[in-house]
Amino acid sequence: MAEITFDGVTKIFGDDVRAVDDLTLHVADGEFMVLVGPSGCGKTTALRMLAGLEEITSGTLSIGGTIVNDVLPKDRDVAMVFQNYALYPHMSVAQNMGFALKVRHESKDEIARKVGEAAAILRLTDYLDRRPKALSGGQRQRVAMGRAIVRSPQAFLMDEPLSNLDAQLRVEMRLEIARIQRLLGVATVYVTHDQIEAMTMGDRVAVMRGGQLQQVDTPQDLYDHPANEFVAGFMGSPPMNLLRGGLENGADGAVVVLGAQRLAVPPRYNASHDLGLGGAVVVGIRPEDVEVLSGAEVAGSITTRVERREALGAEILVHLSLLDAEGTSAFVVNDAGAVVTRPSTLVAKMGPRAEVRVGDTLRVRFNPERFHFFAADSGVSLRQA
Amino acid sequence: MSSATATAPRRRRLTLSRRRQLAGAVFALPAIGLVLGFIVVPIGQAVYYSMTQWDGVSSTWIGPSTWNQALHNPTLWTALRNNALLLLSVPFALGLPLAIAVLLHQRVAGWRIFRSIYFLPTAISWVVLGLVAQRFFAYQGTLNSIIHFFGFSHTNTNMLGYESTALSALGITFIFTMVGTNTMLFLTGLATLDPSLEEAARIDGAGRWRIFRYITLPHLSRFIQLAFVMTVIALFSALFSLIFVMTGGGPGYATTTMEFLIYQTGFNQGDFGTAALYGLILFILTAIVGVVQLRLIGADE
Repeated sequence: MAEITFDGVTKIFGDDVRAVDDLTLHVADGEFMVLVGPSGCGKTTALRMLAGLEEITSGTLSIGGTIVNDVLPKDRDVAMVFQNYALYPHMSVAQNMGFALKVRHESKDEIARKVGEAAAILRLTDYLDRRPKALSGGQRQRVAMGRAIVRSPQAFLMDEPLSNLDAQLRVEMRLEIARIQRLLGVATVYVTHDQIEAMTMGDRVAVMRGGQLQQVDTPQDLYDHPANEFVAGFMGSPPMNLLRGGLENGADGAVVVLGAQRLAVPPRYNASHDLGLGGAVVVGIRPEDVEVLSGAEVAGSITTRVERREALGAEILVHLSLLDAEGTSAFVVNDAGAVVTRPSTLVAKMGPRAEVRVGDTLRVRFNPERFHFFAADSGVSLRQA
Repeated sequence: MSSATATAPRRRRLTLSRRRQLAGAVFALPAIGLVLGFIVVPIGQAVYYSMTQWDGVSSTWIGPSTWNQALHNPTLWTALRNNALLLLSVPFALGLPLAIAVLLHQRVAGWRIFRSIYFLPTAISWVVLGLVAQRFFAYQGTLNSIIHFFGFSHTNTNMLGYESTALSALGITFIFTMVGTNTMLFLTGLATLDPSLEEAARIDGAGRWRIFRYITLPHLSRFIQLAFVMTVIALFSALFSLIFVMTGGGPGYATTTMEFLIYQTGFNQGDFGTAALYGLILFILTAIVGVVQLRLIGADE
């Protein structure tokens, strides 16, 4: 068991494709680290460099304090679970799980004992003589896990191991993998594009984009305090609403001008955020922090119209457009040069029994505790640490 | 009333499954006809002619005693022995392409060019290859030039000129002609190998040899079996052009195979009856190889 350290690790494919750009990341011993990001963000390349399947262009990578840049995969003592499982098709489940031990010349009794233990943990004991093609998707996934855990390696590397499973099985295996990892206490780097897996499984989550690390933090801190617009938009479903507006000094303090409407900024943010008046700003608010008001107009509320309504059973998502001065609807400003593509409407989460119809005019208020502010040009959070 | 009761059972007798069977039989008829016309009938004819004295125009029935006579012909046994000895070239005709394919699959520098070079002989007529091979092995040929180049100026070979070496030269030429096809076959097999299997094995701690032994080779086994069958069948039934061009079956009967013997017996000696008999023997031998091979594949699954 060991810690893993990426120190300024860069991978350049061909002449100029920077798949991973100056990645610095520390995974503590026994920690479950999730690398998450959209496809092409470099997360899989980072994992493959850790496995030794890709050469490192520059920077140093160490496992257990030893620099492994030039160490062969077989000498790194890491185990990997592949997206397609990569089970050896002509070997039985037991042979698949025991292959690494056989290669290391362990005795037959020892191999049988370790495979038996791993099979018991993974509930595969009844399937040890089967070939992979005679197994279901979930069973194959568990064999791939078993192949990793029999070795008691220094680290587990997992490359989207759940993406080939159906939704229900994925939820099951999510818990299963997290359970086994806690049981064994082995440092784990887990790659996924699914932010729900990232939120539920990781001790910490590293968000990547375009080869660059955006933010590393615990899932809740990542959700509550995203470092930039990208992280804000990536984590959470539906994503955070990001509204671009002008920041002005109003009669009762700062306001964000959103088209014809003025959104008062609660005074508490003046101290904690580097707002700077007079410029453009992006206000972020999560769908669950948009409150629908009934009755009288309340200070700090804005007027919207319901454009779409999605009933999900446990909740209703309403897509709102802001109303302009004439009372006609104007979609939320969605500028082309934005750091991330934003939805053209404001999304609010409402209770399942809420009486709301398309075309209704709603007054909404943003939870004053849950505002996020980002620089309009760079997308970086204006929150002062 | 009576007509209705008479027709109803008849209609009922043609159930759906019955009609399907009928349709199946109708659809199978053309195929059955082709098999009968092009396989069963000729084999029957061959059996018949093998028991006649036949010069290609008129045949005289003699009976099974022709078999007794033919089986006592020492040339037949020489040809069978030559065929058996040539089988020794099969491991090389498989092993060499396998090594080449594995190397090319590693994407060694210039692998595309090498692939074309190795495949080139496949596109060339075996008659041309035979001519080239004859020049290569000849007394004043390329092989001796190479030997002289390396300083052995007093060593001269003439492999096609001696009974002891002619068959070896033929075998070597045969291996060469099979390299292209088999290399392509193995490359195709390797292309269907999931690269993540190799990566998984590397992480599991396997080196090159173990990856080859435990991952690549088992994956290729079906391709190797197919190459084996194709190579043996080619050896038994496609060597004629090489022999005709390189040695004419000689010196003596040193390079006369069953296939060549059939030709000689029929067309040189005008004894088509005996040639038909030899043809049957070759057919049975090839069939045995095929059946054994099918059994092996069947046992694997």
